[in-house]
Amino acid sequence: MAAVAAVAALWAALQPDLAVILIGWVPYLAQGFAMNILISVAAIAIGSLIGLILGVMELAPARWIRAPAITYVHIFRNAPHLVLIFATTYAMPFEITLLGGTVAFPDWLKAVVGLAIPASAHIAEIVRGAIQSIPTAQWESAGSLGFSRLRTLRWIILPQCLRRTLPAWMNLYASIAMGSALASLVGVGELLHAATDASTAVRRTDFTIAVYLTVLVSFFAYCYPISRLTQRLERRFAV
Amino acid sequence: MADPLLLDLVKTAKSYGINVGFLTSPHERDIWLEGFRTTLTLVATMIPVSLAAGMALAAALTARQRWLALPARVFVELTRNTPTLVQLSCAFLGLNMLISQSLGGAGQNPFGAFFWVVLVVGLHGAAYHAEALRAGIEAVPDTTLEAARALGFNRLEILRWVELPLALRIALPTIVNNLVTLVKLTTVGSAVAVGEITYASIMIWTQRDNVVELMVVILVFFSAINLVVSQIGLWLERRLAVPGLGVRS
Amino acid sequence: MLTARHIAAAALGLFVGTLSANAQADATLTKIKERGSLVAGVILSGAPFGYIDAKTQEQKGFNIDLATELARGLGVKLETVTVTPPNRVQFLQQGKVDLLIANMSWTEERAEILNFVPTAFERSGGVALGRKGGTIHTWSDLKGKSVCLSQGANFTKPLIEEHGALVKGFPSQPESVLALKGGQCDVAVHTGATLKTMLLDRAEEWKDYEIVVSEDLLPSLNVIWVRKGEKDAEAALDGIMRKLHGSGWIIEAAERHRLTITPYFLETRDANKGR
Repeated sequence: MAAVAAVAALWAALQPDLAVILIGWVPYLAQGFAMNILISVAAIAIGSLIGLILGVMELAPARWIRAPAITYVHIFRNAPHLVLIFATTYAMPFEITLLGGTVAFPDWLKAVVGLAIPASAHIAEIVRGAIQSIPTAQWESAGSLGFSRLRTLRWIILPQCLRRTLPAWMNLYASIAMGSALASLVGVGELLHAATDASTAVRRTDFTIAVYLTVLVSFFAYCYPISRLTQRLERRFAV
Repeated sequence: MADPLLLDLVKTAKSYGINVGFLTSPHERDIWLEGFRTTLTLVATMIPVSLAAGMALAAALTARQRWLALPARVFVELTRNTPTLVQLSCAFLGLNMLISQSLGGAGQNPFGAFFWVVLVVGLHGAAYHAEALRAGIEAVPDTTLEAARALGFNRLEILRWVELPLALRIALPTIVNNLVTLVKLTTVGSAVAVGEITYASIMIWTQRDNVVELMVVILVFFSAINLVVSQIGLWLERRLAVPGLGVRS
Repeated sequence: MLTARHIAAAALGLFVGTLSANAQADATLTKIKERGSLVAGVILSGAPFGYIDAKTQEQKGFNIDLATELARGLGVKLETVTVTPPNRVQFLQQGKVDLLIANMSWTEERAEILNFVPTAFERSGGVALGRKGGTIHTWSDLKGKSVCLSQGANFTKPLIEEHGALVKGFPSQPESVLALKGGQCDVAVHTGATLKTMLLDRAEEWKDYEIVVSEDLLPSLNVIWVRKGEKDAEAALDGIMRKLHGSGWIIEAAERHRLTITPYFLETRDANKGR
């Protein structure tokens, strides 16, 4: 990080006029980046909730519960994020009528749904894998203690899963955070889109390069700490 | 010009509310069919490129020489922690323009959009492969390495004949997962006018009103490709299995 | 194991789910009045039509000024939504925007799926930007040559079908001209006014380039689009457009934004004088 800052400082010193223009665009770009953070946090939150339910459904004894979950996971794990964002943006309504009133359904929220769908499919797989990794003997002993199947899941199995799934979950979070840049292609005003706006307004080759590099560095600053933390957790949880 | 069977099909579909009228326009049909071909070509080019680059990166990551390991580590971290689309924008809109300028005019630039997509997405995949292989190389038991050294293998020979083959087997499930991601990432080509299936569909649906129809086809197409990729992966895993190595429950 | 039947079933589910979401029809004009604001989809592909001011970072351009006047004419506030060529039609059809002022000229295909305001705000076509001293001078020279444009541009069809060009579509005009500069195509084809303003404003950056084919490709009316069947909105907006032409406001705005004053502007002004 220090090296990046040093390079940036050196470059700014060599190109003062360019640096001034770039600094002028910082608020506009920052607004865009806030959108990336909002989209990624919302998408992973919704995705985790739905994924948890789907993961448990995948292991249900009843076929009619299991089959739809398995099909959903297979399709959306293999679907490109970009295509899902296109699908949600262009095919979902812009507002929803709920209880007589209309609620706006803005583009960024559609991008959230577009990313939450694949996120939930991946999380379902993570959850399924984690539940399966817990020895079946625990289910049996919990049963003999009078726990129902759902209560066993809630109080005994899932708490253990949480620890095991954390690194995989964080990897997914980083991947969804990076996926939020795809929303620029459907016109959501996030960072990459803001950079194109800035580049169109300034119309200078060197500025164009500088602004896209700024986008690259911003995402790195967001995702790298997540990835470092993941590695530390992986090492700590490694058996 | 269009054969009657096709016209019939388009009409029947329309009566069910499905708009596939573009099939009667020769150029749109060509763009669309070319889209399937281009996606498959991208996948077929990118998989070997990412694997070869991934192995080279893994070798560099585990090298004892700092001048080799450090740049490899920086590259891997940078690639893994920035969005592919942003990398592609930087490469295609930025780097590509600089290359054109330094070669004295845009006409001299030999690199096309296809090249940049293969490079950026391929190296993105390679960075993930490299991490998986590195973990695999580090998982090779010390006793095996000692045995190899005792047999007179040098460092590079050990890497080539002992560590990589074993690491490949350990890392194979992760690598197959990475390849599935790679297949999905080919869609970013649409942002730089590489004529893959998403691009082809955009070109058609912006002139017509059939987003949903084309979207369903894309989703089914990618499901099919990834089903094939993961099946080949499973087959390889069984095929290459070494008794006692990387046993998974 | 996943079977083909599973895939088909889920795909169909998605299909039906989204199809029902597509069906919306409402009276645009009533809605605009109820809400007290006009939501205009504008394109920001660069000066003079729409751009973000480099200093104030506000939206500027002919499109924005026109949208402001339309809202004033309807007696409501203006909200703008940025659109791009690949998403503008979807945004209008979904109802996200009430109308489009998006460098989207009249074509037969578009008129089948959308309604438009008959009085256009200008008339123009595409021109080709290329390197100086090249071999391309007319549209027919583009046979087998690669052309950068925006995904969704109406020039796509004639360039492929009539002139045999190899078309490369980008998400928006800025990417397309950057790709031209990066040697990804022989020419870039966009609406003339935006390319001319760019050459004028950034002469140093673009010194090796010029408009190589200036004869308008597919000259057509640049119209305001509304949803299919929205006759009321169409009529109300047409009335305002006629007034704006007749009062000379359009020509004034065109001059302010350095659009070439073509005979179309003068004729339309004279035809609507005194309204």
